[in-house]
Amino acid sequence: MADATFLDVRRLQANADTADVALAMDEDAFRAFYDRTAGALWGYLSRISGDRQVADDLLQESYYRLLKASVTFASEAHRRNYLYRIATNLVRDARRSPRPLFDAGFDMATMAAPQSPVDVEGRADVRRAFTQLKPRERALLWLAYAQGSSHSEIAEVLGLKTGSIKLLLFRARRRLAATLQR
Amino acid sequence: MNRRQEPDPSDSEIEAIVANAIAAEAALARREATPPSSAIVWWRAQLRARQEAARAADRPITIVHTLAIACAAGLSLSLIGTAIAAVRGSSGWLVDVYRSLTAAAAPLVSIDLTSRWVTLPMTAMLISALVASVAAYVIFIDE
Repeated sequence: MADATFLDVRRLQANADTADVALAMDEDAFRAFYDRTAGALWGYLSRISGDRQVADDLLQESYYRLLKASVTFASEAHRRNYLYRIATNLVRDARRSPRPLFDAGFDMATMAAPQSPVDVEGRADVRRAFTQLKPRERALLWLAYAQGSSHSEIAEVLGLKTGSIKLLLFRARRRLAATLQR
Repeated sequence: MNRRQEPDPSDSEIEAIVANAIAAEAALARREATPPSSAIVWWRAQLRARQEAARAADRPITIVHTLAIACAAGLSLSLIGTAIAAVRGSSGWLVDVYRSLTAAAAPLVSIDLTSRWVTLPMTAMLISALVASVAAYVIFIDE
């Protein structure tokens, strides 16, 4: 074996600094997956947390943790559900952090410019009603009606039993409807 | 006056109300979503993973350094302890050495300090000691 010179060592160090580190996906696969899911995940995060800034931060953190996860995904749906589970846990952790993130301001009402006065009233009602729900109820309803997830998928994302989802959804719907009609 | 109460909506009606409200909200969320580009997110993930890998690689080196310093400190303390014990144990021998030295130096007391054969070498020795001290100081300051 040839002896390595000082320059060889320097070159190897430089290569090590610029080489890709081991992540769970290659760049092309990640970028395609991100482009398919980022918009919807941002919507989920922003509505569950009620904060745009938090949604921006947690979006990147969610994808980073997905990339670092040493999990073999059986399908695209499995990977997506895992991503949503990471995001849900991050929101939960952020809520427990000393910095108050949620429910103090809940800036949903200022999130987008509605098109008409009817929109203003309707959207404001939905957002106000959403703030009255528990975080888990928000997540349940969003996954069911915005994402169109099945009960088993919701259970996987939220870490609940599949059999309990129907009842939890029923209660969450009732609470949201009652708040909307108030 | 009896106030007429509206009947409670059925489950299917409630589900329709909720589904419509959330679907409208989801459509709005899709419009306002401006996630960073996939290239930026990938680049940041790479950068962060690299930094974490570097930190993880540095951790064992730091631990080894800490252990080495702790071992050196322990060794030094034990050596100092041994040396102190040895000095205490041999203090009688030191007293003997002192006595023999003073006995040997007794003839020196009678030396005439005003003689040039005595003052010249002593002055040279003092000057040498001073020069050596200054040289040592300059060397250590440079380092």
